Amino acid sequence: MDLFIDAQFLLILLSGIFTALAASFLGVFVVVKRMALASDVLSHVALPGMGLALLLNYDPMLGAAVFLVLAALAVWFVEKRTTLPPESIIGTFFIATLAIGVLLVPNEELLESLFGNLFAVSFSDALLIIPLAAIILILTVILSRRLTLSIVAPDLAESIKAKPDAAYLGFLVLFALNIALGIKLIGSLLMGALMILPAVAAKNFSWSMKSFFSISIIFGALIMAVGILVAKYFEFTPGPSVIITGIAFFIISLLFTKRQE
Amino acid sequence: MNNNHKHSEGGHVGPILEVRDLSVNFGSQEVLKDISFSVNAGDVLAIIGPNGAGKTVLFKALIGLIPYDGEIKWRSDVKIGYVPQRLPETESLLLTVKEFLILKSKHLFFKDKEWLLAINHELESVGLSSNILERQLKNLSRGQLQRVLITWAILGHPDVLLFDEPTAGVDLAGEDTIYNLLRRLHQNRGLTIFLISHDLNIVYRYANNVLCLNKERLCFGEPHKALTNEQIEKLYGESAFYHHKH
Repeated sequence: MDLFIDAQFLLILLSGIFTALAASFLGVFVVVKRMALASDVLSHVALPGMGLALLLNYDPMLGAAVFLVLAALAVWFVEKRTTLPPESIIGTFFIATLAIGVLLVPNEELLESLFGNLFAVSFSDALLIIPLAAIILILTVILSRRLTLSIVAPDLAESIKAKPDAAYLGFLVLFALNIALGIKLIGSLLMGALMILPAVAAKNFSWSMKSFFSISIIFGALIMAVGILVAKYFEFTPGPSVIITGIAFFIISLLFTKRQE
Repeated sequence: MNNNHKHSEGGHVGPILEVRDLSVNFGSQEVLKDISFSVNAGDVLAIIGPNGAGKTVLFKALIGLIPYDGEIKWRSDVKIGYVPQRLPETESLLLTVKEFLILKSKHLFFKDKEWLLAINHELESVGLSSNILERQLKNLSRGQLQRVLITWAILGHPDVLLFDEPTAGVDLAGEDTIYNLLRRLHQNRGLTIFLISHDLNIVYRYANNVLCLNKERLCFGEPHKALTNEQIEKLYGESAFYHHKH
């Protein structure tokens, strides 16, 4: 193995880890806000976006990002206007996009769009993914107090003019962008899972929000790193390998589950 | 008790709040209709009425949480602390008391030192020890949560406190001390207090004004004058008749 391949592999590993850090931090809010299912379905919106981008000769990641952000805005708007829970809104509107996406994306690209291909991530992709993921992570950290308050007590948030709606919109947009970033790596179908798995595993070990965030991002990075190394070593498809690692983490965390009330 | 908060200054004359013809509708449902009243600085106003009378809705309108018709005029520089009945979401959050109280800080991260000092000070003034800071909200008793919510509300020195049914679900001994705490806050800090209550005893003991509510304003004024037997009967129906002993 020559030095060039190692450097490229390192970049791939780093893009994976950075994306996972942002995903697992955002994932805490996904779990706390009980929108795990919704986040999974929302990630399907990426597919028609990628299909359209491929047809028009754009980077599929860009198409996915545009569609995901539009979907996030739609979720926010509909949720503000009605009292339906996010699950039912997203479930109703966006499951259909999976079907449309499958029709739009050319067959040879379909598998990669759904499950990603980490090892096809180029040098320039990595240089885009790493800083963007870092920015998403930082923005989420900045937003996290306002977001926590808007979940735990929207009335209190409103009473100190903390604009809970704006915090939630910010979260949805960051969430959408992060899914778009992860598409090249592990695909749209599995990115939703990457956002949830580290957080649900971390929840079983945590004793406060701070520990919840910390453990979740540590798990996120570990799940991604172990998943990629396993995929490389055994020549597995990397996306599924990452997700199966995440599920293993989750199952192990169940053994440590504290007493349930 | 040491007391370095401002006493009621008496400098502010005139009402701290004026409400005129306030109406709130949820869709076609009329929840509040043409409510008018005013509150002076340093008053303790009790808001009473049966379930579904619109008491909490009135609070939400006063804080600007919901749209309304009519006029709500607070004194211009007023700071309001709000104590809700409960928090909508504590079960799935692992939030500790400290983390919860820090959420009221204007800083989004770092710079927590001063705020933590304030938190410790206010915890003491509501009768909680700082040991509670590391406990999770979901593991607190109803009474402890109530005090934590009060701590949240008085952080940052508000002029007005809105208490929504401060005793719902708290045992009688706890109830008594919560009201003594309210009275202390009122006396030591010159706070204007609005409290929603269903207990007429509380109204007579702690409030100097009462607003009876059942969608419309049924009475308003000093408890002994405004709360005639006839009014009470009208408000709660004969079955819940309460006779106040003088």
